[in-house]
Amino acid sequence: MPPEPTMAETMAILLARDMANGEKAIIGTNSDIQVAACNLARLMHAPDLWWISGPGGMVNPERDHLVSTADHGNIASAEAWMDLPNMIDFIDWKIHFFDFAILSALQVDQYGNINTVVVGDQTKPKLRGPGTVGISALCGLSRYFNVVMAHHSKAAFVPRVDFLCGPGHMEGGTSREDRGLPPGGPRLVISPLGVFDFEPGSRRMRIRSLHAGVEVQKVIDATGFELVVQGEPAVTPAVTPQEIELLRSRVDRAQALRKG
Amino acid sequence: MKKPVFVSLSEAMADIPDGSRVALGGWIFNGQPMALVRALIRKGAKNLDLVPAPGSIAPDMLIGAGCARSTCCVFISFEQFGLAPHFRKQAEAGTLKVYDLDGPAIAGGLRAAICDLPYMPVPDLGTDLPRHAPEHYRELPTAPGERKLLAVTAIHPDVCLLHAQQADDLGNVQYLGTPFFDAMLAQASRKVIVSVDRIVSRETVRASNHLTKLPRSMVDMIVEAPFGAHPTSSPSLYRNDEAHLRAYVEASRTDEAFQAYLRHYVHPERHDAYLDAVGGSMLAGISH
Repeated sequence: MPPEPTMAETMAILLARDMANGEKAIIGTNSDIQVAACNLARLMHAPDLWWISGPGGMVNPERDHLVSTADHGNIASAEAWMDLPNMIDFIDWKIHFFDFAILSALQVDQYGNINTVVVGDQTKPKLRGPGTVGISALCGLSRYFNVVMAHHSKAAFVPRVDFLCGPGHMEGGTSREDRGLPPGGPRLVISPLGVFDFEPGSRRMRIRSLHAGVEVQKVIDATGFELVVQGEPAVTPAVTPQEIELLRSRVDRAQALRKG
Repeated sequence: MKKPVFVSLSEAMADIPDGSRVALGGWIFNGQPMALVRALIRKGAKNLDLVPAPGSIAPDMLIGAGCARSTCCVFISFEQFGLAPHFRKQAEAGTLKVYDLDGPAIAGGLRAAICDLPYMPVPDLGTDLPRHAPEHYRELPTAPGERKLLAVTAIHPDVCLLHAQQADDLGNVQYLGTPFFDAMLAQASRKVIVSVDRIVSRETVRASNHLTKLPRSMVDMIVEAPFGAHPTSSPSLYRNDEAHLRAYVEASRTDEAFQAYLRHYVHPERHDAYLDAVGGSMLAGISH
Protein backbone atom coordinates (compact mmCIF):
# COMPACT_ATOMS: atom_id res chain seq x y z
CA MET A 1 0.00 0.00 0.00
CA PRO A 2 1.50 3.39 -1.00
CA PRO A 3 1.73 6.20 1.57
CA GLU A 4 -1.52 7.93 2.54
CA PRO A 5 -2.80 10.43 -0.04
CA THR A 6 -2.56 14.12 0.79
CA MET A 7 -5.71 16.26 0.68
CA ALA A 8 -4.62 17.67 -2.70
CA GLU A 9 -4.24 14.16 -4.11
CA THR A 10 -7.59 13.11 -2.69
CA MET A 11 -9.31 16.13 -4.24
CA ALA A 12 -7.75 15.43 -7.64
CA ILE A 13 -8.99 11.85 -7.50
CA LEU A 14 -12.51 12.82 -6.37
CA LEU A 15 -12.75 15.35 -9.21
CA ALA A 16 -11.42 12.84 -11.75
CA ARG A 17 -14.07 10.30 -10.77
CA ASP A 18 -16.79 12.84 -11.52
CA MET A 19 -15.63 13.50 -15.10
CA ALA A 20 -17.38 11.72 -17.94
CA ASN A 21 -15.82 10.51 -21.16
CA GLY A 22 -16.26 12.97 -24.02
CA GLU A 23 -16.78 16.05 -21.86
CA LYS A 24 -15.06 19.35 -22.71
CA ALA A 25 -13.43 21.17 -19.82
CA ILE A 26 -11.51 24.36 -19.20
CA ILE A 27 -8.87 24.74 -16.52
CA GLY A 28 -7.78 28.11 -15.19
CA THR A 29 -4.62 29.46 -13.73
CA ASN A 30 -2.91 28.03 -10.57
CA SER A 31 -4.70 24.73 -11.05
CA ASP A 32 -2.44 21.79 -10.21
CA ILE A 33 -5.31 19.83 -8.66
CA GLN A 34 -7.60 20.44 -11.63
CA VAL A 35 -4.95 19.57 -14.22
CA ALA A 36 -4.10 16.38 -12.33
CA ALA A 37 -7.80 15.47 -12.20
CA CYS A 38 -8.25 15.87 -15.96
CA ASN A 39 -5.16 13.91 -16.89
CA LEU A 40 -6.01 11.19 -14.37
CA ALA A 41 -9.58 10.89 -15.71
CA ARG A 42 -8.16 10.55 -19.23
CA LEU A 43 -6.01 7.64 -18.02
CA MET A 44 -8.81 5.98 -16.07
CA HIS A 45 -12.29 6.06 -17.58
CA ALA A 46 -12.44 9.16 -19.81
CA PRO A 47 -9.86 8.87 -22.62
CA ASP A 48 -11.90 11.31 -24.72
CA LEU A 49 -12.13 14.01 -22.09
CA TRP A 50 -11.04 17.20 -23.90
CA TRP A 51 -9.52 19.91 -21.77
CA ILE A 52 -7.99 23.23 -22.58
CA SER A 53 -5.70 25.50 -20.62
CA GLY A 54 -7.53 28.81 -20.11
CA PRO A 55 -4.47 31.08 -20.17
CA GLY A 56 -2.32 29.22 -22.69
CA GLY A 57 -4.91 27.65 -24.99
CA MET A 58 -3.17 24.25 -25.09
CA VAL A 59 -5.47 21.28 -25.73
CA ASN A 60 -4.90 18.03 -23.82
CA PRO A 61 -1.29 18.62 -22.82
CA GLU A 62 -0.12 15.25 -21.53
CA ARG A 63 2.86 15.11 -19.30
CA ASP A 64 3.83 12.85 -16.43
CA HIS A 65 4.28 15.85 -14.14
CA LEU A 66 2.29 19.00 -13.44
CA VAL A 67 3.22 22.33 -15.00
CA SER A 68 1.30 25.59 -14.69
CA THR A 69 -1.49 25.95 -17.26
CA ALA A 70 0.13 29.09 -18.69
CA ASP A 71 3.57 27.49 -19.04
CA HIS A 72 5.26 27.14 -22.40
CA GLY A 73 6.18 23.58 -21.35
CA ASN A 74 2.63 22.47 -22.14
CA ILE A 75 2.84 23.33 -25.81
CA ALA A 76 5.10 20.50 -26.90
CA SER A 77 2.76 17.84 -25.52
CA ALA A 78 -0.54 19.43 -26.62
CA GLU A 79 -2.57 18.32 -29.64
CA ALA A 80 -3.44 21.95 -30.49
CA TRP A 81 -3.10 25.41 -29.08
CA MET A 82 -5.13 28.54 -29.60
CA ASP A 83 -4.55 32.24 -29.14
CA LEU A 84 -6.29 33.65 -26.09
CA PRO A 85 -8.54 36.11 -28.00
CA ASN A 86 -10.05 33.14 -29.86
CA MET A 87 -10.25 31.05 -26.73
CA ILE A 88 -12.24 33.61 -24.83
CA ASP A 89 -15.01 33.52 -27.40
CA PHE A 90 -15.70 30.01 -26.17
CA ILE A 91 -15.59 31.16 -22.56
CA ASP A 92 -17.30 34.50 -22.73
CA TRP A 93 -20.04 34.17 -25.27
CA LYS A 94 -20.86 30.61 -26.21
CA ILE A 95 -23.46 28.90 -24.05
CA HIS A 96 -22.48 25.41 -23.02
CA PHE A 97 -19.44 25.02 -25.25
CA PHE A 98 -17.75 23.81 -22.10
CA ASP A 99 -19.32 20.99 -20.15
CA PHE A 100 -17.61 22.05 -16.97
CA ALA A 101 -15.07 24.23 -15.23
CA ILE A 102 -13.49 23.64 -11.82
CA LEU A 103 -13.02 26.75 -9.71
CA SER A 104 -11.59 27.71 -6.35
CA ALA A 105 -12.92 30.57 -4.27
CA LEU A 106 -12.44 32.73 -1.18
CA GLN A 107 -16.11 32.21 -0.33
CA VAL A 108 -18.93 29.95 -1.46
CA ASP A 109 -22.50 30.41 -0.25
CA GLN A 110 -25.48 28.17 0.41
CA TYR A 111 -26.59 28.43 -3.25
CA GLY A 112 -23.13 27.82 -4.70
CA ASN A 113 -22.43 31.41 -5.70
CA ILE A 114 -18.71 32.08 -5.49
CA ASN A 115 -16.42 35.00 -4.67
CA THR A 116 -12.78 35.47 -5.62
CA VAL A 117 -12.80 39.28 -5.43
CA VAL A 118 -12.98 40.64 -1.87
CA VAL A 119 -14.00 39.74 1.64
CA GLY A 120 -15.80 42.78 3.04
CA ASP A 121 -16.42 46.04 1.18
CA GLN A 122 -14.98 46.34 -2.34
CA THR A 123 -13.66 49.87 -1.72
CA LYS A 124 -11.85 48.94 1.51
CA PRO A 125 -11.84 45.18 1.78
CA LYS A 126 -10.83 43.06 4.76
CA LEU A 127 -9.18 40.73 2.27
CA ARG A 128 -8.39 41.62 -1.31
CA GLY A 129 -8.54 38.55 -3.55
CA PRO A 130 -7.10 38.07 -7.02
CA GLY A 131 -10.19 38.97 -9.09
CA THR A 132 -12.69 37.45 -11.46
CA VAL A 133 -11.06 36.70 -14.84
CA GLY A 134 -13.12 33.97 -16.59
CA ILE A 135 -15.08 32.92 -13.52
CA SER A 136 -18.26 34.91 -14.25
CA ALA A 137 -18.60 33.48 -17.74
CA LEU A 138 -17.63 29.94 -16.76
CA CYS A 139 -20.11 29.83 -13.88
CA GLY A 140 -22.74 31.48 -16.04
CA LEU A 141 -22.32 29.68 -19.32
CA SER A 142 -20.71 26.25 -18.94
CA ARG A 143 -23.05 23.28 -18.50
CA TYR A 144 -22.04 22.99 -14.85
CA PHE A 145 -19.14 23.79 -12.56
CA ASN A 146 -17.46 22.24 -9.56
CA VAL A 147 -15.90 24.18 -6.70
CA VAL A 148 -12.75 23.19 -4.81
CA MET A 149 -12.39 24.82 -1.41
CA ALA A 150 -8.97 24.68 0.28
CA HIS A 151 -10.52 25.38 3.70
CA HIS A 152 -13.84 24.53 5.29
CA SER A 153 -14.75 27.23 7.80
CA LYS A 154 -17.51 29.71 8.59
CA ALA A 155 -15.39 32.38 6.89
CA ALA A 156 -15.35 30.42 3.63
CA PHE A 157 -18.83 28.80 3.69
CA VAL A 158 -21.05 31.87 4.13
CA PRO A 159 -24.81 32.48 3.86
CA ARG A 160 -24.23 35.00 1.06
CA VAL A 161 -20.95 35.81 -0.68
CA ASP A 162 -19.65 39.34 -0.06
CA PHE A 163 -19.06 39.83 -3.80
CA LEU A 164 -20.84 37.59 -6.27
CA CYS A 165 -18.50 37.10 -9.23
CA GLY A 166 -19.48 33.55 -10.17
CA PRO A 167 -23.22 32.95 -10.39
CA GLY A 168 -24.38 29.69 -8.84
CA HIS A 169 -28.04 29.09 -8.04
CA MET A 170 -28.31 32.81 -7.18
CA GLU A 171 -31.08 33.06 -4.54
CA GLY A 172 -32.04 29.40 -4.87
CA GLY A 173 -35.07 27.75 -6.46
CA THR A 174 -35.51 28.87 -10.07
CA SER A 175 -33.86 32.27 -9.49
CA ARG A 176 -30.89 31.44 -11.74
CA GLU A 177 -33.11 30.69 -14.72
CA ASP A 178 -35.46 33.56 -13.82
CA ARG A 179 -32.45 35.89 -13.99
CA GLY A 180 -31.99 34.81 -17.63
CA LEU A 181 -29.01 32.53 -17.14
CA PRO A 182 -28.86 29.16 -18.86
CA PRO A 183 -29.57 26.23 -16.54
CA GLY A 184 -26.65 24.48 -14.92
CA GLY A 185 -24.64 26.08 -12.19
CA PRO A 186 -22.70 24.41 -9.42
CA ARG A 187 -22.77 20.61 -9.18
CA LEU A 188 -20.26 19.64 -6.53
CA VAL A 189 -18.35 21.48 -3.84
CA ILE A 190 -15.35 19.58 -2.52
CA SER A 191 -13.73 20.63 0.75
CA PRO A 192 -11.27 19.01 3.15
CA LEU A 193 -14.29 17.72 5.10
CA GLY A 194 -16.53 16.31 2.42
CA VAL A 195 -18.38 16.47 -0.88
CA PHE A 196 -21.48 18.63 -1.22
CA ASP A 197 -24.18 19.00 -3.87
CA PHE A 198 -27.41 20.96 -4.19
CA GLU A 199 -30.89 19.80 -3.23
CA PRO A 200 -33.17 19.78 -6.28
CA GLY A 201 -35.93 22.32 -5.81
CA SER A 202 -34.49 24.59 -3.13
CA ARG A 203 -30.97 24.39 -4.68
CA ARG A 204 -29.51 24.68 -1.19
CA MET A 205 -26.16 23.05 -0.49
CA ARG A 206 -26.43 19.59 1.02
CA ILE A 207 -24.03 16.99 2.30
CA ARG A 208 -23.40 14.30 -0.30
CA SER A 209 -20.65 12.48 1.56
CA LEU A 210 -18.20 13.12 4.36
CA HIS A 211 -14.58 12.09 4.21
CA ALA A 212 -13.66 9.13 6.42
CA GLY A 213 -13.55 10.06 10.10
CA VAL A 214 -15.43 13.38 9.71
CA GLU A 215 -18.49 13.75 11.98
CA VAL A 216 -21.63 15.54 10.77
CA GLN A 217 -21.47 17.93 13.73
CA LYS A 218 -17.94 19.00 12.77
CA VAL A 219 -19.15 20.06 9.31
CA ILE A 220 -22.21 21.81 10.68
CA ASP A 221 -20.01 23.73 13.13
CA ALA A 222 -17.61 24.77 10.33
CA THR A 223 -20.35 26.00 7.98
CA GLY A 224 -21.86 29.48 8.18
CA PHE A 225 -25.33 28.42 6.97
CA GLU A 226 -27.71 25.54 7.43
CA LEU A 227 -26.64 22.60 5.29
CA VAL A 228 -29.27 20.20 4.00
CA VAL A 229 -28.65 16.90 5.77
CA GLN A 230 -30.67 13.94 4.53
CA GLY A 231 -30.36 10.91 6.79
CA GLU A 232 -26.96 9.61 7.81
CA PRO A 233 -24.46 11.02 5.24
CA ALA A 234 -22.43 8.53 3.23
CA VAL A 235 -18.69 8.23 3.66
CA THR A 236 -16.71 9.46 0.65
CA PRO A 237 -15.51 6.30 -1.13
CA ALA A 238 -11.85 5.85 -0.23
CA VAL A 239 -9.08 6.55 -2.69
CA THR A 240 -7.94 3.21 -4.10
CA PRO A 241 -4.31 2.05 -4.34
CA GLN A 242 -4.75 1.89 -8.14
CA GLU A 243 -5.87 5.52 -8.31
CA ILE A 244 -3.04 6.79 -6.15
CA GLU A 245 -0.47 4.70 -8.02
CA LEU A 246 -1.68 6.02 -11.39
CA LEU A 247 -1.69 9.60 -10.12
CA ARG A 248 1.83 9.40 -8.74
CA SER A 249 3.42 7.46 -11.59
CA ARG A 250 1.74 8.94 -14.66
CA VAL A 251 0.35 12.38 -13.76
CA ASP A 252 2.32 13.89 -10.89
CA ARG A 253 5.77 12.33 -10.95
CA ALA A 254 7.33 15.48 -9.50
CA GLN A 255 5.01 15.09 -6.48
CA ALA A 256 3.55 18.60 -6.62
CA LEU A 257 0.36 17.39 -4.91
CA ARG A 258 2.26 15.60 -2.16
CA LYS A 259 3.77 18.88 -0.99
CA GLY A 260 0.36 20.54 -0.72
CA MET B 1 3.63 53.68 -42.84
CA LYS B 2 5.13 54.37 -39.47
CA LYS B 3 8.16 52.42 -38.48
CA PRO B 4 9.02 51.26 -35.02
CA VAL B 5 12.06 52.98 -33.60
CA PHE B 6 14.70 51.10 -31.65
CA VAL B 7 15.33 52.90 -28.40
CA SER B 8 16.83 52.53 -24.94
CA LEU B 9 14.68 51.79 -21.89
CA SER B 10 14.78 55.40 -20.70
CA GLU B 11 13.98 56.75 -24.17
CA ALA B 12 11.02 54.37 -24.36
CA MET B 13 9.60 55.82 -21.14
CA ALA B 14 10.25 59.48 -21.95
CA ASP B 15 6.84 60.20 -23.50
CA ILE B 16 4.65 58.47 -20.96
CA PRO B 17 3.21 61.37 -18.99
CA ASP B 18 1.99 61.05 -15.42
CA GLY B 19 -1.69 60.14 -15.41
CA SER B 20 -1.39 57.86 -18.45
CA ARG B 21 -3.51 54.77 -18.89
CA VAL B 22 -0.93 52.00 -19.17
CA ALA B 23 -1.72 48.46 -20.32
CA LEU B 24 0.58 45.60 -19.29
CA GLY B 25 0.94 42.36 -21.24
CA GLY B 26 1.80 38.77 -20.38
CA TRP B 27 0.00 36.39 -18.07
CA ILE B 28 0.74 36.07 -14.33
CA PHE B 29 4.34 34.72 -14.23
CA ASN B 30 4.79 34.65 -18.00
CA GLY B 31 5.91 37.37 -20.37
CA GLN B 32 5.39 40.37 -18.10
CA PRO B 33 7.22 43.45 -19.47
CA MET B 34 9.47 43.79 -16.44
CA ALA B 35 12.43 45.71 -17.91
CA LEU B 36 9.93 48.33 -19.12
CA VAL B 37 8.16 48.36 -15.76
CA ARG B 38 11.43 48.91 -13.91
CA ALA B 39 12.27 51.78 -16.30
CA LEU B 40 8.87 53.34 -15.66
CA ILE B 41 9.48 53.20 -11.90
CA ARG B 42 12.95 54.76 -12.35
CA LYS B 43 11.36 57.58 -14.31
CA GLY B 44 9.24 58.31 -11.24
CA ALA B 45 5.88 57.88 -13.00
CA LYS B 46 2.85 58.97 -10.97
CA ASN B 47 -0.93 58.59 -11.03
CA LEU B 48 -0.97 55.88 -13.66
CA ASP B 49 -4.20 54.06 -14.40
CA LEU B 50 -3.20 50.47 -15.01
CA VAL B 51 -4.90 48.04 -17.37
CA PRO B 52 -3.06 44.79 -16.73
CA ALA B 53 -3.77 41.53 -18.49
CA PRO B 54 -3.96 38.85 -15.77
CA GLY B 55 -0.74 39.74 -14.02
CA SER B 56 1.56 39.40 -11.06
CA ILE B 57 4.71 41.38 -10.40
CA ALA B 58 4.31 43.95 -13.22
CA PRO B 59 1.20 45.65 -11.82
CA ASP B 60 2.19 44.84 -8.24
CA MET B 61 5.60 46.52 -8.45
CA LEU B 62 4.19 49.65 -10.10
CA ILE B 63 1.59 49.83 -7.33
CA GLY B 64 4.18 49.19 -4.61
CA ALA B 65 6.53 51.86 -6.00
CA GLY B 66 3.74 54.44 -5.80
CA CYS B 67 3.26 54.87 -9.56
CA ALA B 68 -0.43 53.94 -9.81
CA ARG B 69 -3.60 55.66 -8.65
CA SER B 70 -5.93 53.01 -10.03
CA THR B 71 -5.93 49.63 -11.64
CA CYS B 72 -8.36 47.53 -13.53
CA CYS B 73 -8.28 44.06 -12.05
CA VAL B 74 -9.14 41.04 -14.10
CA PHE B 75 -6.76 38.94 -12.05
CA ILE B 76 -3.68 39.96 -10.07
CA SER B 77 -2.13 37.07 -8.20
CA PHE B 78 1.09 35.53 -6.97
CA GLU B 79 -0.38 32.05 -7.33
CA GLN B 80 1.58 29.52 -5.24
CA PHE B 81 3.27 32.41 -3.38
CA GLY B 82 -0.05 33.90 -2.25
CA LEU B 83 -1.83 37.15 -2.97
CA ALA B 84 -0.10 40.03 -4.77
CA PRO B 85 1.46 41.87 -1.81
CA HIS B 86 1.29 45.56 -2.77
CA PHE B 87 -1.94 45.29 -4.74
CA ARG B 88 -3.47 43.68 -1.67
CA LYS B 89 -1.99 46.16 0.79
CA GLN B 90 -3.12 49.27 -1.09
CA ALA B 91 -6.53 47.88 -2.03
CA GLU B 92 -7.18 46.95 1.60
CA ALA B 93 -5.99 50.37 2.79
CA GLY B 94 -8.36 52.00 0.31
CA THR B 95 -5.51 54.01 -1.27
CA LEU B 96 -5.75 52.30 -4.67
CA LYS B 97 -8.91 52.57 -6.74
CA VAL B 98 -9.70 49.12 -8.15
CA TYR B 99 -12.03 48.55 -11.08
CA ASP B 100 -12.99 44.91 -10.91
CA LEU B 101 -13.60 43.60 -14.41
CA ASP B 102 -14.35 40.12 -15.60
CA GLY B 103 -13.02 38.52 -18.77
CA PRO B 104 -15.95 39.71 -20.90
CA ALA B 105 -15.50 43.32 -19.73
CA ILE B 106 -11.81 43.52 -20.54
CA ALA B 107 -12.05 41.50 -23.76
CA GLY B 108 -15.20 43.31 -24.87
CA GLY B 109 -13.76 46.68 -23.84
CA LEU B 110 -10.55 46.11 -25.80
CA ARG B 111 -12.47 44.83 -28.81
CA ALA B 112 -14.70 47.88 -28.75
CA ALA B 113 -11.57 50.05 -28.79
CA ILE B 114 -10.07 48.01 -31.62
CA CYS B 115 -13.27 48.47 -33.67
CA ASP B 116 -13.71 52.19 -32.80
CA LEU B 117 -16.98 51.39 -31.09
CA PRO B 118 -18.14 52.93 -27.81
CA TYR B 119 -18.99 49.58 -26.26
CA MET B 120 -19.55 45.92 -26.90
CA PRO B 121 -22.55 43.90 -25.79
CA VAL B 122 -21.82 41.02 -23.44
CA PRO B 123 -24.19 38.66 -21.64
CA ASP B 124 -25.42 39.83 -18.24
CA LEU B 125 -24.17 37.08 -15.97
CA GLY B 126 -25.88 38.31 -12.83
CA THR B 127 -22.73 39.28 -10.94
CA ASP B 128 -22.03 42.16 -8.56
CA LEU B 129 -19.41 43.57 -10.96
CA PRO B 130 -21.59 46.23 -12.71
CA ARG B 131 -22.66 47.70 -9.37
CA HIS B 132 -19.03 48.30 -8.36
CA ALA B 133 -17.67 49.48 -11.71
CA PRO B 134 -20.51 51.45 -13.38
CA GLU B 135 -17.86 53.19 -15.52
CA HIS B 136 -17.32 49.91 -17.30
CA TYR B 137 -20.73 48.26 -17.37
CA ARG B 138 -24.20 49.48 -18.17
CA GLU B 139 -27.45 47.77 -18.93
CA LEU B 140 -28.53 47.45 -22.53
CA PRO B 141 -32.18 47.52 -23.45
CA THR B 142 -33.44 44.16 -24.67
CA ALA B 143 -36.77 43.01 -26.05
CA PRO B 144 -38.92 40.67 -23.96
CA GLY B 145 -37.65 37.11 -24.24
CA GLU B 146 -34.19 38.20 -25.33
CA ARG B 147 -31.11 37.40 -23.33
CA LYS B 148 -30.19 40.13 -20.84
CA LEU B 149 -27.18 42.10 -22.04
CA LEU B 150 -24.68 44.57 -20.68
CA ALA B 151 -22.65 47.14 -22.59
CA VAL B 152 -18.98 47.09 -21.61
CA THR B 153 -17.32 50.38 -22.43
CA ALA B 154 -14.33 50.68 -24.75
CA ILE B 155 -10.91 50.53 -23.08
CA HIS B 156 -8.33 52.72 -24.84
CA PRO B 157 -4.93 52.47 -23.15
CA ASP B 158 -2.65 55.41 -23.93
CA VAL B 159 0.24 53.02 -24.14
CA CYS B 160 0.83 49.32 -23.74
CA LEU B 161 4.02 47.70 -22.50
CA LEU B 162 4.67 44.22 -23.85
CA HIS B 163 7.48 41.70 -23.82
CA ALA B 164 8.15 39.31 -26.70
CA GLN B 165 10.99 36.96 -27.53
CA GLN B 166 12.39 38.45 -30.73
CA ALA B 167 12.12 41.02 -33.50
CA ASP B 168 13.95 41.71 -36.71
CA ASP B 169 15.61 45.05 -37.44
CA LEU B 170 12.45 46.20 -39.25
CA GLY B 171 10.49 45.78 -36.06
CA ASN B 172 8.41 42.67 -36.78
CA VAL B 173 7.78 41.15 -33.36
CA GLN B 174 7.64 37.40 -32.84
CA TYR B 175 6.25 35.27 -30.03
CA LEU B 176 7.85 31.86 -29.63
CA GLY B 177 5.11 30.76 -27.23
CA THR B 178 1.61 31.81 -26.32
CA PRO B 179 1.05 35.55 -26.89
CA PHE B 180 -1.72 35.71 -24.27
CA PHE B 181 -3.63 39.04 -24.63
CA ASP B 182 -0.67 40.96 -26.09
CA ALA B 183 -1.91 41.41 -29.67
CA MET B 184 -5.29 42.59 -28.46
CA LEU B 185 -3.70 45.10 -26.07
CA ALA B 186 -1.50 46.35 -28.90
CA GLN B 187 -4.42 46.85 -31.28
CA ALA B 188 -6.44 48.71 -28.65
CA SER B 189 -3.62 51.00 -27.46
CA ARG B 190 -2.62 54.36 -28.90
CA LYS B 191 1.06 53.56 -28.52
CA VAL B 192 2.81 50.19 -28.42
CA ILE B 193 6.17 49.66 -26.71
CA VAL B 194 7.71 46.19 -26.85
CA SER B 195 10.83 44.80 -25.23
CA VAL B 196 12.40 41.74 -26.86
CA ASP B 197 15.01 39.34 -25.59
CA ARG B 198 16.91 39.48 -28.87
CA ILE B 199 17.08 40.98 -32.35
CA VAL B 200 17.24 38.39 -35.12
CA SER B 201 17.74 38.56 -38.88
CA ARG B 202 14.96 39.30 -41.36
CA GLU B 203 15.55 35.82 -42.81
CA THR B 204 14.87 34.26 -39.42
CA VAL B 205 11.57 36.12 -39.17
CA ARG B 206 10.51 35.23 -42.71
CA ALA B 207 11.38 31.58 -42.19
CA SER B 208 8.85 31.38 -39.33
CA ASN B 209 6.55 34.24 -40.19
CA HIS B 210 3.53 32.59 -38.52
CA LEU B 211 5.22 33.58 -35.25
CA THR B 212 5.00 37.29 -36.10
CA LYS B 213 2.04 38.32 -33.94
CA LEU B 214 2.85 42.04 -34.07
CA PRO B 215 3.69 43.11 -37.62
CA ARG B 216 5.83 46.25 -37.56
CA SER B 217 2.98 48.60 -38.50
CA MET B 218 1.41 47.83 -35.10
CA VAL B 219 4.52 48.73 -33.10
CA ASP B 220 5.90 52.15 -32.12
CA MET B 221 9.01 51.39 -30.11
CA ILE B 222 11.21 48.38 -29.54
CA VAL B 223 13.77 47.97 -26.79
CA GLU B 224 16.29 45.14 -26.91
CA ALA B 225 16.42 43.80 -23.35
CA PRO B 226 17.78 40.28 -22.87
CA PHE B 227 15.92 38.55 -20.03
CA GLY B 228 13.58 41.55 -20.13
CA ALA B 229 10.70 39.53 -18.67
CA HIS B 230 12.75 38.37 -15.67
CA PRO B 231 11.66 37.30 -13.03
CA THR B 232 8.72 36.09 -15.14
CA SER B 233 9.24 33.65 -17.99
CA SER B 234 9.81 34.40 -21.63
CA PRO B 235 8.09 31.44 -23.29
CA SER B 236 10.59 29.03 -24.88
CA LEU B 237 13.66 31.04 -23.78
CA TYR B 238 13.61 30.97 -19.98
CA ARG B 239 11.39 29.90 -17.08
CA ASN B 240 10.15 32.15 -14.33
CA ASP B 241 12.58 32.66 -11.46
CA GLU B 242 10.73 31.24 -8.47
CA ALA B 243 13.47 32.12 -6.00
CA HIS B 244 13.37 35.75 -7.10
CA LEU B 245 9.57 35.90 -6.99
CA ARG B 246 9.64 34.47 -3.49
CA ALA B 247 12.30 36.98 -2.46
CA TYR B 248 10.13 39.79 -3.87
CA VAL B 249 7.16 38.66 -1.78
CA GLU B 250 9.44 38.46 1.25
CA ALA B 251 10.86 41.95 0.57
CA SER B 252 7.33 43.31 0.30
CA ARG B 253 6.58 42.62 3.96
CA THR B 254 8.04 45.91 5.17
CA ASP B 255 8.56 49.32 3.54
CA GLU B 256 12.22 49.23 4.45
CA ALA B 257 12.84 45.86 2.81
CA PHE B 258 10.89 46.88 -0.27
CA GLN B 259 12.86 50.13 -0.65
CA ALA B 260 16.04 48.06 -0.39
CA TYR B 261 14.70 45.73 -3.10
CA LEU B 262 13.97 48.71 -5.37
CA ARG B 263 17.43 50.20 -4.73
CA HIS B 264 19.12 46.91 -5.52
CA TYR B 265 17.13 45.74 -8.54
CA VAL B 266 15.19 48.66 -10.00
CA HIS B 267 17.18 51.85 -9.55
CA PRO B 268 20.41 50.90 -11.32
CA GLU B 269 19.92 52.75 -14.61
CA ARG B 270 21.32 50.13 -16.96
CA HIS B 271 19.62 46.87 -17.80
CA ASP B 272 22.93 44.99 -17.69
CA ALA B 273 23.36 46.16 -14.08
CA TYR B 274 20.03 44.46 -13.32
CA LEU B 275 21.26 41.25 -14.93
CA ASP B 276 24.46 41.45 -12.87
CA ALA B 277 22.40 41.93 -9.71
CA VAL B 278 20.36 38.82 -10.53
CA GLY B 279 23.51 36.89 -11.38
CA GLY B 280 24.73 34.83 -14.28
CA SER B 281 24.29 31.44 -12.64
CA MET B 282 20.67 32.27 -11.80
CA LEU B 283 19.95 33.30 -15.39
CA ALA B 284 21.71 30.23 -16.75
CA GLY B 285 19.69 28.09 -14.37
CA ILE B 286 16.32 29.26 -15.70
CA SER B 287 17.29 29.18 -19.39
CA HIS B 288 15.72 26.56 -21.64
